[in-house]
Amino acid sequence: MNTSALKKALPALALLALAGCQPELDAPAPATSGSANFSRYIAVGNSLTAGYSDGGLYLEGQLNSYPNLLAQQFKLAGGGDFAQPLFTDAQRNGSGYLRLAGFDASGSPITAPVTTSLAIRGASPTGGPLYTRYDAAVNNLGVPGIRMDNVQTPGYGSVAGNPYFERITPTTNPLETYFQRVKREAATATFFSSWLGNNDVLGYSTSGGASTAATNTITRTDTFTLKATRIINVLTAGGAKGVISTIPDVSGIPFFTTVGPRLRTSLSAAGVPGLVITTGAATGGPTSANRKTIAVSDIRDAGGSGRQLFTLTSSPFVGLIGRPGGRVWRYLYAQSGQPAAGFPLFLTAFGVDTTKALGVTAENPFPSAFVLDDVEQATVATATLGYNTALRNLAATKGLALFDANIFFNQVAASGYGTNGVTNTASYISGNLFSLDGVHPTPRGYAIIANEIIKAINAQYGSTLPYVNPNTYRGVTLP
Amino acid sequence: MNLKSLLLVGGALLSGTAASAGGFQVTLAGQKNNGMGGVGVGLSLDQAAMFYNPGALAMVRERGVQIGGNVTLARQSFRGQFGSDERTLRNSIVTPFNLYAGFGPAEGKWRLGIAVYTPFGSKLQYASGWEGRYSLTDIDLKSVFVQPTVSYAITDQLSIGGGPVILAYGAVNLQKDISIGNYPDGHVELDGKAEHKVGFNAGVFFKPSDKLSLGVSYRSHIDAHVKDGTVTITNTPTALASSFAATKFDVTLPLPATTSIGVGVMPNDKLTLGFDVNFVQWSRYKTLDFTFDQNLGTSNKSTSKRYYQDALTFRLGGQYKLTDGLTVRAGGSYDNSPVKDGYVTPETPDADRVSGTLGATYSFGKFGVDLSAQYVSIKKRTQTQNELLNNGTSLDRVAGTYKTNIVIPGIGFNYNF
Repeated sequence: MNTSALKKALPALALLALAGCQPELDAPAPATSGSANFSRYIAVGNSLTAGYSDGGLYLEGQLNSYPNLLAQQFKLAGGGDFAQPLFTDAQRNGSGYLRLAGFDASGSPITAPVTTSLAIRGASPTGGPLYTRYDAAVNNLGVPGIRMDNVQTPGYGSVAGNPYFERITPTTNPLETYFQRVKREAATATFFSSWLGNNDVLGYSTSGGASTAATNTITRTDTFTLKATRIINVLTAGGAKGVISTIPDVSGIPFFTTVGPRLRTSLSAAGVPGLVITTGAATGGPTSANRKTIAVSDIRDAGGSGRQLFTLTSSPFVGLIGRPGGRVWRYLYAQSGQPAAGFPLFLTAFGVDTTKALGVTAENPFPSAFVLDDVEQATVATATLGYNTALRNLAATKGLALFDANIFFNQVAASGYGTNGVTNTASYISGNLFSLDGVHPTPRGYAIIANEIIKAINAQYGSTLPYVNPNTYRGVTLP
Repeated sequence: MNLKSLLLVGGALLSGTAASAGGFQVTLAGQKNNGMGGVGVGLSLDQAAMFYNPGALAMVRERGVQIGGNVTLARQSFRGQFGSDERTLRNSIVTPFNLYAGFGPAEGKWRLGIAVYTPFGSKLQYASGWEGRYSLTDIDLKSVFVQPTVSYAITDQLSIGGGPVILAYGAVNLQKDISIGNYPDGHVELDGKAEHKVGFNAGVFFKPSDKLSLGVSYRSHIDAHVKDGTVTITNTPTALASSFAATKFDVTLPLPATTSIGVGVMPNDKLTLGFDVNFVQWSRYKTLDFTFDQNLGTSNKSTSKRYYQDALTFRLGGQYKLTDGLTVRAGGSYDNSPVKDGYVTPETPDADRVSGTLGATYSFGKFGVDLSAQYVSIKKRTQTQNELLNNGTSLDRVAGTYKTNIVIPGIGFNYNF
C-alpha cells in the first residue's frame, strides 16, 4: 500500500467507523404495575390533594394536582380514567387566588387577588362562598381545609359546612360525612392515596397560635390516630393497595421563613435588642402571662439560627415596629368579623395602648397572630410527631407504601431539590416549589411530590412507573 | 475535542495540561504514539518525546520537524431520569494539532527542542431542548501549550530532560439556558481567555540494553485562570434585571499534575512494545468556583462540587517495521475515571473508558507520513436523582444515563535532518 492509497482510504474508514459510533441507550422498560392494580385510583386528602395553590383552588392547580399527575403515570401501567371536580374554563379561577403583581422598590413581592372568572354560585348561611357544584363522579376527593377530626362530622358537606366538600356532596344526602363518602368510593377502588392531617396543625400554626376557632386548634393525637385508622381501614377493606403520606414540619415552609430573616436584619441594623409580643390566644394586660419578650437574635434567620418565626401575613406590619399606632390591631379586629364598635373593648381586653411604640413596649406588643413562637412551635412539633407515628404505623401494619413527606421536606428545606440543573429550594417565590401563599406547592412542587410518591409506590409494590419531568411544570408565575 | 479534553476539562474550563494526557484518555500529542495506545514514556520514538518524556529526547537519533493533526468525532447519547427521550449531541468536530522541532549536534550528547500541542480543546454542543440545558448547552475549550525543551544524555544509557510548559493560549466558552418561571428560557454565555501560566515537564530515560528501556516523567499542575471573562445574558425579563446583572466573571480551574512511568521492550530491531501507567492527581480538583461582578441568579458566586479522585491510566502498544518504508502500529488503553458516582456533569460526561488504536508510518527518505486512528468507548454511566441529592449535587447537574463513543483519525508529516 502506498501513502496516497492510505490517504484516500482514511476518510472512508472514518465514515465507516462513525456509522457504528453513535451509541444507543435502551429505552426504559415499559411501565408495569407490579403487585398493585391501578385500574380505579381514588385520592383522599385536603388542599394538597385537590391541587390548591396561591391561596386558592383554580383550574390550573387542579390539573397539576399530584393525584392527577400520578393518575397520568398510572395510565401507563393499566390505570383508568381519573375524574376531578374541575372548574369549567369559563370559571377557571375557581375560588380566586393570589397573583404576583410585581415587586416594590425594596424588592419585596406585591401580590394581588384574582377576582374574575370565579366559580362562586352564592353565599352560605354564614356568609362564606358557595362554589359551582360538580355532580359527576370524581376520583379526586381532595377537600381544601379538611382536618382529620372533620372526617366523621355530619353536615361537613352541607351548605353550612366546607364549600369544597359541599360542591361534590350529593344534594340528596347533604349530611353524608367525608368518611361515608370515602367508604362509598373505596368499595370499587383498587388503589388509593391518602394524605390527611396537615390542617390539624396548620391552622394553629398559620394563626400564630392566637386563634380559638375550631379550624385553628390542634387535634388531639388520640383523636387523630383513631380517625386515621378508620379511614385507612375503610380504604383497605376491599383489598385495595395504596400510599400514605406523612405531615411535613410546618416551620420549614416559606410562610414562616420569609419575613423573619429580613426583620432580624433590619432590627439588628437599627440596634433594637428585642421585641415584646403576645403569645397564645388568652386576653390580658401588660403584666399578664400573654406578654413575651424575645431577643432579636432569637428570630430565625436564613441560616436557621434563632427560634421565633414570623408569618408571611405579618409582612405589611413589621415595618410599623417601633412606632406608635393601632393599625395592626385594627386589621386583626376586622378579621374577626365583629362589629366595629367593639374595637375599644378588644384593645382593653389585651391591655393595648396604641400611643406606645409597637412591638417594643408591653403596652403595645406585636400580636401573637403574626408570630409562631418557640413554645407554640413545640406544641406543633409534638402533635406532628404523634400524627406521623400513627401514619407510619398504619402504613407498616397494612403493608402500604409510605411517602414520608416530613423527612422529604426537611431535606428540601435544608439543601434544596435540583431538577436537571434547575435550582429549586424552599425559598419564597425564587425557590420555585412553593406558591404565593407560602404553604401550598406550585405545579413544580406538586410534580416533585408526585415523583416521590411514585418512588414509594415502586419500592413497595415492585411497579415500574416512570417519573414525570418536574421542569415541564412551572414555579411561581412571574408578572 | 476531544472529549478527552473534555474530560479533562473537568468541568468546565480549560483543562489540562498536557499532562492530562495521562488521565485523559484521548492523548493526541504524537501521531506515532496515537497509533500505539498513547504509550511513549518508556520509548524514544521521535520528537514527540518532548511531550511524553523530555528525558528521552536526547536518545532520539534523528533531529527533525514534525507536525500532526487529528479530527475528533464524538457521538453521545443521553437519556434523562425525568423524561425518556434519547438525546444526542449536535455533531461538531475539533482538530487538535501538534508540532515539534528538535535540534542538536548529530553526535552530541544534548538536544534542544520546541513543542507546541493542544492537549485540551473540547467542544460539546448538546441538542436543543435537552433535559440538562439549565446545566449546560455548549462548551468550547481551546488551549495551546508551548514547551521549550532541553535534554542531555549523561551516559549512553541514561538521559534527562525537561522544560517549562507554557499555557500560551486558552479560551473557554460555556453556555446554558436559564429557567425563569413562566417565561421562555433565558440564556447565559461565559466567554473568556485564560491568563498565561507556566508549569514544567521533566523526565528521565534509561536504556540498559538494546532490548529494554525505562522512563519516568512528571508534568506539574497548572491553575488555569480566567479573569474578567465576559458574561452575556439574553432573553431575561426586565423585571428581574437585578438578578441577571453580571457582566464579568473570574474562574480558576486546577489542571492536575501527572506522573508517568513507561517500559519499552525491543525483542528485535523490527518490533517495539511499550507499556505506560499514568497517575493523575485529580484530587486537587475539589470545586469549580465562579465569581461574578454582579448577581447571576440570587448570588454573585457559584460553586459546583467536583471532588475528583486521583486516577490511573494503563496503556499498551506496539509497532512493527514491515518493510524499510512501512511501519504498522496497534495499541489500547484503559482509563479510570476521576469522576465519582453522583458527580458527573454535562461538561465532563465521564466514565471509565477503553480505547483501541491503529497506526502506520510510511517513510521515504527523510520524509515520513504517520496515520493513526483511535476508537474510544466511554462506558455507559448512570447517575440517579437520589445520588445527586445525597451528594448535594442536584442543583447543577442532571440525573440520567450517558454513553459516548469517540473516533479520532489523525495524520502527521515528519522531516528528519
